[in-house]
Amino acid sequence: MKEIYRKRGRSVRWENGHVIRVNESGVAIENDERFVCHPDPELASAAASLMDVGRVASIAHAIQRQIPNGIRIERLIVSEGEAEHTFRDKSWRDTTQRIHLALARAHTRVLIDLGDFEIDEIASIADALARAEENEGAAPARLRLAGNVAAALLPSLVSVAPPNVLLSQHAGGIDGKGEAIEAAAGLWPNWYRPSYRVRPMRAPFNLAARCDVSQIDATRPIAIALLAPPEELTLRVLVLDGERVYPATVRVTRIDAIAEGGRWYPYGAGTIGAEIML
Amino acid sequence: MTSPVTFAIATRDELRLRGRLAEQRLSHGIARHDGDAIDADDSRDDELVVRCDAEIDGLRAAAPIDARVRLVASARRVANTTIVSATMTIGVDGLFVVSDALHAAEDAAFLRSLVGQALLTVPIDYHELPIVWHRGSASVLLHEAAGHAAEHEHARLEWPSWLSVRDEPLFAIDDIGNRTRAADLLAGEAPSSLRRESFRDVPLRRMSNLVVRGNAPFEMPDRRIDIHLLAGGSYEPLDETVTVHVAAAKLGERWLPPFTIHESRAAVARAINGATGEPRRSPGVVCSAEGQELVVGSSAPAMLTWFR
Repeated sequence: MKEIYRKRGRSVRWENGHVIRVNESGVAIENDERFVCHPDPELASAAASLMDVGRVASIAHAIQRQIPNGIRIERLIVSEGEAEHTFRDKSWRDTTQRIHLALARAHTRVLIDLGDFEIDEIASIADALARAEENEGAAPARLRLAGNVAAALLPSLVSVAPPNVLLSQHAGGIDGKGEAIEAAAGLWPNWYRPSYRVRPMRAPFNLAARCDVSQIDATRPIAIALLAPPEELTLRVLVLDGERVYPATVRVTRIDAIAEGGRWYPYGAGTIGAEIML
Repeated sequence: MTSPVTFAIATRDELRLRGRLAEQRLSHGIARHDGDAIDADDSRDDELVVRCDAEIDGLRAAAPIDARVRLVASARRVANTTIVSATMTIGVDGLFVVSDALHAAEDAAFLRSLVGQALLTVPIDYHELPIVWHRGSASVLLHEAAGHAAEHEHARLEWPSWLSVRDEPLFAIDDIGNRTRAADLLAGEAPSSLRRESFRDVPLRRMSNLVVRGNAPFEMPDRRIDIHLLAGGSYEPLDETVTVHVAAAKLGERWLPPFTIHESRAAVARAINGATGEPRRSPGVVCSAEGQELVVGSSAPAMLTWFR
């Protein structure tokens, strides 16, 4: 069966000092096992753009001001996009905001990915990195994962989550084939299509984890940031343990509690990061 | 980038699975730079698309039909200069090479020769044996240890005096319209070219065509690891370490399971013990930095290392 998807979009991003505005549109055609896509300038958007170059630049500069001396911004990308989509008889529109930040001090790199322009948590991570020990420490036996760290872990938990943890898709938004994203667990009914140039795939949107226990012991050490992308269930993290801050490698083998609520992060088709207690 | 520059590109890529077309993409666009500002859209330059079509026809004709093959043809224009490239990535049973129309048959035959080999099950420590890097594979080691270090302007090291590692661009103009020149990567010179994957990307200082030369003949050690194919590599600028994933290597007559070499670049410099022969083309390198994938030409003579 032939399926035709059309997208027109605009983005603006601040990338390590450059400001890039991109305007493009295209069509993707799936016909049985074959996927074909190409630009389609006929789709040029008539809608007024809501994007603001000044906004991404001001967010980038605000982040730069939060970074203490001794910490180097290795990579900073702030972007905003808007897109109009059509699939079969459905049309919809969405907007995105993203921040990718890599901070470095000596041999330690912290990675921060955000799905909005709320930048408050960056300062505390940068301050912790500024006083971090250089050498790797032993991971505490009992540890909390901050919401941003937990969010990055969630895609790795799919299919291997311990029995006391339920992974589910939260409702919200429209998927890559124009269907509403509804609450779901176990099977993922929706299609993820990050670009018209990418063949859509089934994936959980707004992926969240829930546990029978939601009470978090706030006295435990906490992993406040990622030092590398997760490798399955192994995390390299920056641990805040009383006055000490140090890098550590954590293998997630059990989960004791998961806080309720959480913030949306741009991992996979989106994850909801809430504090996890290991 | 002080004066406005216009960069135009068209790219066709196809994925063919055992001769059957599975995916086909066309991309085109124009980026206009003015200082640090880039305005980009997907405007079509018909001439570039026609050049892409001609190149991809050549790739299709040469693509092996018993493999997973990704064909990429690209034509770009900056400062009235058009540059064309055409590569294919051939995959057989989980092993991959980056090839072109001229070498596809030879590279595919090489991959097929590696499939189904019984692997030695005894673990080996690559520190205990000399390693001979065949089929240009030493260029990948030096791409990571010398090339990326030069891109990051890291301090010069003591390399063997007979060794040369240069970036020698095969095109006259880079992606922002500057004239290219060769760079001596061991002497602390960074690659001259600013390159980009697409019209959406920021141009970055990147290698284009890495050539390793050197003549320091060595006696072939009786007991050694012979490396024939790599699966990739990386350079970590924070601690100046090199990682190289070995896909196909032999110990004597037996094939080894895949393994990884992880060393500081200073250890790589110390480990190089000899080289012999003319630089040989390595199945190319698809180099990823800042999310942009670029093909980098790579060649090196047979080289001897020992990480003791």
